[in-house]
Amino acid sequence: MNGIAFRLIAKELHVHRWMMLATGTAAALSALACAFGGVAFNIGSIAWITAVIAGGVMLAIYGVANERKEQSLQFILSLPVSVPQYVRSKTLGLLLCFALPWLVATLSAVMLVLASPAIPDGMLPFVLALAGFLLTNFAIVLCAALHARSEGVMTAAIILTNMSVSIFMFVVGALPGIRSHLDAAAPVWNATVFNVLLVEALVLVLAVLLPQLTVARRRDFL
Amino acid sequence: MSTTAHLRLRGVSKAYRFFQLQGISFELEPGEVMGLVGPNGAGKSTTIRMAMGMLAPDAGEIRVLGHAMPSAQAEAKRDIGYVSADMRLVPNATLGWHMDFVSSVYPGWDAGYAATLLRRFNLHPQQATQTLSHGEQVKAAMLLALARRPRLLMLDEPGNGLDPVARQELLTEFMDVLRDDSRSILFSSHNTVDVERISDRIAFMDRGRLLENSDKEEFLERWRRIEVQLEPGAVLPVLPDIVAQAGEGRFRTLTTNRFDGAQLALLGDVVRGVQRMSLEEIFVANVMHHRETHNP
Repeated sequence: MNGIAFRLIAKELHVHRWMMLATGTAAALSALACAFGGVAFNIGSIAWITAVIAGGVMLAIYGVANERKEQSLQFILSLPVSVPQYVRSKTLGLLLCFALPWLVATLSAVMLVLASPAIPDGMLPFVLALAGFLLTNFAIVLCAALHARSEGVMTAAIILTNMSVSIFMFVVGALPGIRSHLDAAAPVWNATVFNVLLVEALVLVLAVLLPQLTVARRRDFL
Repeated sequence: MSTTAHLRLRGVSKAYRFFQLQGISFELEPGEVMGLVGPNGAGKSTTIRMAMGMLAPDAGEIRVLGHAMPSAQAEAKRDIGYVSADMRLVPNATLGWHMDFVSSVYPGWDAGYAATLLRRFNLHPQQATQTLSHGEQVKAAMLLALARRPRLLMLDEPGNGLDPVARQELLTEFMDVLRDDSRSILFSSHNTVDVERISDRIAFMDRGRLLENSDKEEFLERWRRIEVQLEPGAVLPVLPDIVAQAGEGRFRTLTTNRFDGAQLALLGDVVRGVQRMSLEEIFVANVMHHRETHNP
C-alpha cells in the first residue's frame, strides 16, 4: 500500500460518509426499538437487518457500479494509480465504509441482547453469526460489483445475496447446536457456532481476494 | 525515431466486435500540440485511453514519457493531465475537496495557478460536483489537470458540448501551457476550427485508421482546390495527386493533396483559380478520399 492507495481509501470514506452515518444510525435505532419487546422487537429486528443490507447494497452500487456508469472512474484512473492499486484501494475502502456502520450495528445488537432482560443471552451466538454473515454478504456483493460489467449482473447479485440472508436465518437458526441454546440464560459457544463463524470468515477472505486476482488483471478497465 | 518523445505509438491495434483500430503509429515531441481529428467512431477516444493505460492494445507498443503502457501507467501518470468530455468528478464532494485531493497526490500542484483558474473559469471551491453544469464539470476537470503542471496533457474532445465562450477559455489556457516548451498536448476533436487554432501537428483518423499525420502548415500548404474551365470538347489532362474532382462539362473543381507548380503547368491556361482549403475542408476531402480508396 502506498500513499495514493491510502488517499483513495480516504476518498471512499469521504464520499460515502453520509451513507455510513445513515446506516449506523438506522441500525442503532432499530436495535433500540427491539428493547421495547413484542411487535417493536419484530419491527426493530427487521429494520436492523434491512439497514445493514441496504447500506451494503448502496455502497456497492454508488461506490463501484455508478463510478463506472457516471464516468468518474475516468477521473480516478487519470491519477497515478495502476489497476491493481485501484482494485485493492476500492475493495479495502468500501469494506471499511461498510465495516464502520456494521460495527455500530453489531455492537448495538450485542448490547441489546446483554442489556435487555426480555431477550435471553443465549441469542448472542446467533446474533454474532448473523452479523458475521451480513459482513460476508457485503464482501460478496462488493466482489460481484467489481466483476460485473452490466446492470443486469449487478441486480442479480443483489437479489441473490438478499435472498441468502433469509436462507441463512432459516438454515443456521435451525442447526441443533444453535437452536437448542437460543433461550439459554447464558451464551453457549460450541463447535457449531465456531464452524459457522469460520465458514463466514473463509468466504469473506475469498470474496476479498478474488477481485485482486481477476479484476485487477483486466487489460481493459474502462 | 526520437528517444525524447512524450508519446510514442508503434503499430498499435485494438479489436472490438464491430470496430478495429489498426496499426496506429505516431509520436508527440516535447513542446508540440497534436490535434487528433476524426469523425465519431474514428477511434480517437480508444487511442487516447490506450495511451492513458485505461485500455490495453492487442498489438503494438505505447510509450508515454518513456514509460511502457499500460504496465508502467502509475509512473507515467505522475506527469500527465487527462480530461475527457464525458468524464465526471467524484460525487458527494466539492470542487475544493477535489483540489485538496489532487494536490495531495501531485507534489508539483500549483496552488496559485489553481486559484487563478478558479477565477478565470468562474468556479467556486464550495460548489458540489453534482451542482456543476456540463461545461463547469469540464472546466473543473481542466483546472484539476492543469494545476498539476503536467508535462503531457491528454484531452479527449474537451470542447464537446461547451459554448463558444467556454471553448475559448479552454483554448486560451492551452496556449498558456505551451509557453513552457517542455510540455506537450495531445487532444482529440471533431471541431477542426479549434484544432487549426492551436495545433502544430494534425493527425486525421477515420474508421480505426490513421489517415495522415503531418505538420499543420504542411497540410495547409499541400492541399488546394483548383478551378478549371475547359475549352469546348477539350479533355482534362490526367494529373497526379488529385484526390477529388467535382463538376460536369467545362467547369471542374479539382482537389489535390500535393499541390505544386507542375500541376498548374500541366493544366496550362485552363486554370481559373487556386484556392487554399480550410482544415475542415482538408479533413473532409481526406476522409472521403480514403473511404473511396479503401471501400470503393
